[in-house]
Amino acid sequence: MTFSARGFYYSLAALLILMVGLNAIVAYTTRNSIPRQQMGRARRAPDTTVLAIGNSLIGAGFNESSFDRGMQLSPNRGSLNFALGYSLPVEQLLFLRFALQHQMHPRIVIYGFYDLQLSTPVRLATRDFVGNRAVLYYLEPEYARQFYYLSPHDRIEFEIMRHFPMMVDRGAFWAKIERLRRDIGQQGMPAERTNQFGRADDFALLEAKSDAEFASACDQASNEDLISPVLEIIRQGQDSGARIVFVEMPMRPAHVKRFYETPAWEKYREHVRHIIEPKGVEYLDASHWISDGALFDDPLHMGHQAAEQFSERLGQYLRHESPSGTQSPNPNSLQR
Amino acid sequence: MDNAIMAKGNVKMELPLMDWVKQVLEYLGGERDERPPGFPFELSNWLFWGLWWGALCLLIFLFCGQSSKFIYIDF
Repeated sequence: MTFSARGFYYSLAALLILMVGLNAIVAYTTRNSIPRQQMGRARRAPDTTVLAIGNSLIGAGFNESSFDRGMQLSPNRGSLNFALGYSLPVEQLLFLRFALQHQMHPRIVIYGFYDLQLSTPVRLATRDFVGNRAVLYYLEPEYARQFYYLSPHDRIEFEIMRHFPMMVDRGAFWAKIERLRRDIGQQGMPAERTNQFGRADDFALLEAKSDAEFASACDQASNEDLISPVLEIIRQGQDSGARIVFVEMPMRPAHVKRFYETPAWEKYREHVRHIIEPKGVEYLDASHWISDGALFDDPLHMGHQAAEQFSERLGQYLRHESPSGTQSPNPNSLQR
Repeated sequence: MDNAIMAKGNVKMELPLMDWVKQVLEYLGGERDERPPGFPFELSNWLFWGLWWGALCLLIFLFCGQSSKFIYIDF
C-alpha cells in the first residue's frame, strides 16, 4: 500500500468536512432540546404574571392551570412554569435573567427549592455539563462562570467545547444510548418504575445518605451565607419589581419525617429566613402540604394529582397574602 | 478461508459474512495485503480513510458517555 503525505492531508480534510456535517446534524436535531423549548415558551409569554423557577421539583410540581385557578389569574396573563430539571441555582439564575431580558415583568417570582440547594456551593467538572445543564455552554456562559467553580483543566475544556454542538449537546445522544442500554437490560427482567425524568428509584440517590450526614450538612450551612447565584436571584428579581417567594417544596412524608422534622433542619430554616426576610423575600414552608406519599412519583417528585393540589393551594396562598413590598419594575436592572 | 466459497473468473466470489468481516478488519489492520473480494476501497484511497476515521469518531462520540451516571434522562 502506498499512502502519500498529500493523501493523508486529503483524508484529514475529508474527516473535517464530515465533522462539520455531524456538528450541523447535532445542532439541528437538538434545536428543540428541553432548555430551548423552555426558553421558547418564555419568549412567547411576555405577559406572564407569576414566574416559577427552580429545578425538576418545580418542573413536575408546578401546574400552571391549577395555580392560575387558585390565584384567579386569567390564562393569557397567568403563570409560567419556567423550571429546568437537573438544574442548579446557576442555571435557574440564567433562566430568570432570560425571562427578564425578554420583556417579561412578572409580579411574583416563585423559587422552589429542597434540602440544601440554597447553600451548596456549585462545583462542576466537564463531565457534569450534560443534559439540561448544557445550557451553561450557550446561555450567557461568560456571565455564569463567576458563579461556579471549574478546575483550570476543565475551564480550558469548557472554552473549547462550547463552540461545538457535538460537544455541547452530547448528552442528548448519550441519553439515547443509555435508554437503549436500559431497554436491553430490561429484557426478561421485572419492569422498573419510571417517570418523565428517569428511573423512579434513582432519585433516592439525590437524598442524603444518612440522617447524620444531613444534620451535619445543615449545621455547616447554618453558619454560612446563601450561595451567590441564589443571592443574585433575589437581587435581580427584586430589581425587576417582582415579589420574591421562596417555597420549601412539598416532599414525601418519609423525607419530611426523616430530614425536616429535625432540630438541624429547623435551625437551617431559621437561618435562611434570617437571611432572606430582611431582604424582603417571603419564605413559604410547603414541605408538609402533600401528606400522602402515594401521590409522589418517586422519592423527590410530586405526581400529577399532588402537583395540582400544591399549585392551587399555592395560588390561593399568594392571592390572600398581601405582598410585603412590591416595587415598580426597573428595566435597567440587568445591566450589571 | 476453509469455509469460504471461492471461485475465479466471471463467477461471483462468496464468503460467509463473518469471515468476510474478519478479512476486512484484517485488511484494514494491515495483517493481510490482499483486498477481500467485494470490498470496494483500496487502502491508498484517501477518501476511504477520511470516512473511516469519521465513522470511528462517530462511534466514540455515541458511546463515550457510558461512564456518566444518568439519574435524569429526560433530555
